[in-house]
Amino acid sequence: MNKIKALFCVIIPIALAFLFNTKLGSTPPLLKFLNPFMGFWQNAENNHFMFNHKAKIKGAIDKIEIVFDDRMIPHIFAQNDHDLYLAQGYVTAMHRLWQMDFQTRFAAGRISEVVGSKAIEVDRYQRRMGMVYGAENSLKGMMADPKAKEMILAYTEGINAYIKTLSHANYPLEYKILDFKPEDWTPVKCALLLKQMSAVLAMGSDEFYMTNILKKFGPEVTKDLFPDYPFREDPIIPVGTKWNFSPLPIPKTPESFTQAQTGAVKTKEKVEGIGSNNWALSGAKTASGYPILANDPHLDLTLPSIWYQIQLHAPGVNTYGVSLPGAPGVIIGFNQKIAWGVTNVAADVLDFYQIKFKDSSHNEYWYNNQWKATKKRLETIKIRGGKDEVDTVYYTHHGPVVYFQKPKYGRADNVPVGDALRWIAHEESNELMTFYYLNRGKNYNDYRKALTFYTAPAQNFVFASVDNDIAITPNGKFPLKWKDQGKFILDGTDPAYDWQGWIPNAQNPTVKNPPRGFVSSANQSSTDTTYPYYINWEFSPYERGKRINDRLSAMNKATMDSIRLMQTDNYSILAQNLVPALLPFLNNEQLNATQKEALAYVNKWNKRYDAHEIAASVFEIWTKRLTYDIWGDEFEVKGIPMRYPSRDRTVEMILKEPNATWYDNINTPKTETLTDLVNESFKYSCDSLERRFGPINKDWDWANVKQSNVPHLAKIPGMGSKVLQIGGAKSTINALGESNGPSWRMVIELGKTPKGHGVYPGGQSGNPGSKFYDNMIDTWANGKLYDLFYMQSPDDKSGTIISRLKISK
Amino acid sequence: MVFIVIAIICFFLQMIAPWWTIIVISFATCGIIGKTGKIAFWQSFLAIFLLWIGYALFKSLPNDNVLAGRVAVMTGIKLWWALLLVTGILSGLVAGISGYCGYQFRMAMLAKKTDEKIA
Repeated sequence: MNKIKALFCVIIPIALAFLFNTKLGSTPPLLKFLNPFMGFWQNAENNHFMFNHKAKIKGAIDKIEIVFDDRMIPHIFAQNDHDLYLAQGYVTAMHRLWQMDFQTRFAAGRISEVVGSKAIEVDRYQRRMGMVYGAENSLKGMMADPKAKEMILAYTEGINAYIKTLSHANYPLEYKILDFKPEDWTPVKCALLLKQMSAVLAMGSDEFYMTNILKKFGPEVTKDLFPDYPFREDPIIPVGTKWNFSPLPIPKTPESFTQAQTGAVKTKEKVEGIGSNNWALSGAKTASGYPILANDPHLDLTLPSIWYQIQLHAPGVNTYGVSLPGAPGVIIGFNQKIAWGVTNVAADVLDFYQIKFKDSSHNEYWYNNQWKATKKRLETIKIRGGKDEVDTVYYTHHGPVVYFQKPKYGRADNVPVGDALRWIAHEESNELMTFYYLNRGKNYNDYRKALTFYTAPAQNFVFASVDNDIAITPNGKFPLKWKDQGKFILDGTDPAYDWQGWIPNAQNPTVKNPPRGFVSSANQSSTDTTYPYYINWEFSPYERGKRINDRLSAMNKATMDSIRLMQTDNYSILAQNLVPALLPFLNNEQLNATQKEALAYVNKWNKRYDAHEIAASVFEIWTKRLTYDIWGDEFEVKGIPMRYPSRDRTVEMILKEPNATWYDNINTPKTETLTDLVNESFKYSCDSLERRFGPINKDWDWANVKQSNVPHLAKIPGMGSKVLQIGGAKSTINALGESNGPSWRMVIELGKTPKGHGVYPGGQSGNPGSKFYDNMIDTWANGKLYDLFYMQSPDDKSGTIISRLKISK
Repeated sequence: MVFIVIAIICFFLQMIAPWWTIIVISFATCGIIGKTGKIAFWQSFLAIFLLWIGYALFKSLPNDNVLAGRVAVMTGIKLWWALLLVTGILSGLVAGISGYCGYQFRMAMLAKKTDEKIA
């Protein structure tokens, strides 16, 4: 009896220890997490006192001093390049370790290791798209260059030096919530991070949808509804710019152009989420007589912030701007002489090839009239609380065959089954050198040289220098293609469908000091139709670019404030084009009281998506519904995934083809007209708002309908921002959606001493327990910018310093 | 006595040792000097309840409870001080139960020895 009692007295405490030390479902190990000595309470940073620190890192060559300003932005002063990137790695890890770790694990398809089998499709997708394969290739390119190699190795060393200082008590919060440990950084993680940027910006692919459309509607309709150049455009390289090179011969379009297989998923409206703006004004148009450059890259917003501000100072370099946590150097920024920025090009650099396999073993495929062997790549996916899974991916010379069976996973919707992926991100590359040279650039020639190193994701590189040069270049490694090669799924058996080489870098579209006195981009078409090469058949809609160019053309004696206000401009060119065209169709007598009142708002509307505009809410839902009314009946067919024609084509049809047959809803016996659809969609918009918010009141405000907020990177509740009452919309310069938009706003005034201004929706620290986690959000939401503190020495007194970190050997 | 011993040892040990030190220390302390079951439970409970709450406040107050507020939202408890109470009560309970078990363990062993002597 007593033996049993004694046994129980031992078992119960052990069981309690085990129970509260184990992760159950998504609940962290409770007492391990709540323990104030090592759990989450330890991540609560002191808001009131800052201390100076010293650190010893064996690999440091010389003394390094890091100065933190009053927004916790590090200014690194090193004596050589190696120490500079070592210190960058160290401070970035200090503020953003979990983010860097998680993003690269995500890129590498290793999330199941952390959260278990629920992430298995995510991991398979990343692996099967060849993310790790691409990163390994990319790393080869970086390591082949001595400078890039030094950068990566020093950066890696810095991160690992920081990781070594950690014990469980000071692991970043998310490790404690998700219950895992930091692991050593490796150079391939830098490459993975850059691949992930390619995945975010250059993984779009409509060829599966387009092939289905071609099969269903035939070439005539496809050509009509999906034209190769938009109805309205205001291209990045001004119309009429001459091309001063003799182009390579364009490969011949093969005679047997297309056919393909289909799977079974639902049609999606093409979502316009990520895009960006940048522009530069020549001194002739500014008050100071020196150029002003502006950039705001739009991405899916997260906390911790996507970007990390930093100043890098060493002999031969003094640059300030934003970096990506996980990659050395400054990506968007300025130095004493020049400033630069980027927006996405949306080049067609991802293609699918239909593969004819010999048999179900997939060991051989038909190419150029013979059987060719595939290569197998084994992907081992570790699963927390489960057995490892080994996934075999078959590679053709094009690239990996992504799926043999369609998975139930949203991001895989546009991937055709049984087809091989040819993607620029699989190439060997060395993008880091572009930023290495831009960070140290002094003039236009340095800019042009830096761009030659860049592969992907292709970006519109805007440039301005103190010598009063401005320029813009849609830049990247573009495959040499015949026109529309990759608009549809390609034939993988015929060499004529392969990529036929590359557009020479010097022949990428570019313009320097155009007569109009400014350059700009907003993801629209790179050029007019005279450019000899094919880059893509469709780019982002033209509205943002048009508004930017309208404003800049009219602008004289520009100052930092006029540019800042422009970045938060909510005026909608889409509304300007559509509202006057749609209003005459509305039949006033058939509207109820609320609908009439809403119409009055739309009538008076200034076409701005400002926070308190009720008309903006009505218009937004109205036009969305109208698009659905027009295309939904034809383009949403069960089992045949397709996409809608572009916004540009839809607007063109509304304005110019009032009798098009597409207006008829083929699912009803009646023949609908454009008038019917405009009225139906208007009522729908008002009714849905009324259902949600009651009769017209403040809740109908655009900001309230939109609900902008900045969520946590892993969507952990409580770690994101509050809902922000702010305006902006995807078709306006201030392209702010629900949780995507300007991830960094920057305005640089060049001059004897450059003046930088910038803000992002977040803060320097990645720790939700720090006051620097989200301290810049309100400034960002209010459309204000901070003056950036461009220091000349560690003792520069022109800004406020809150702490210092000295690193020595 | 139990209270002070547990509080002091746990305070120092926890700077380097994992949280379940509180189980070991409560068990051992009450197993050696626990006078009654009631004392074993309540003094262990109070020692850890106060120690954890006190130390959590020491970290959280200079932070203006920003982090505690966020974690409270994450867990669905909503209020930071409620999260603090949960921290104290849960750890206190675990310590209390362990202390009680430690005391009862000694009793069982003593009883066993007495049994053997009688036999």
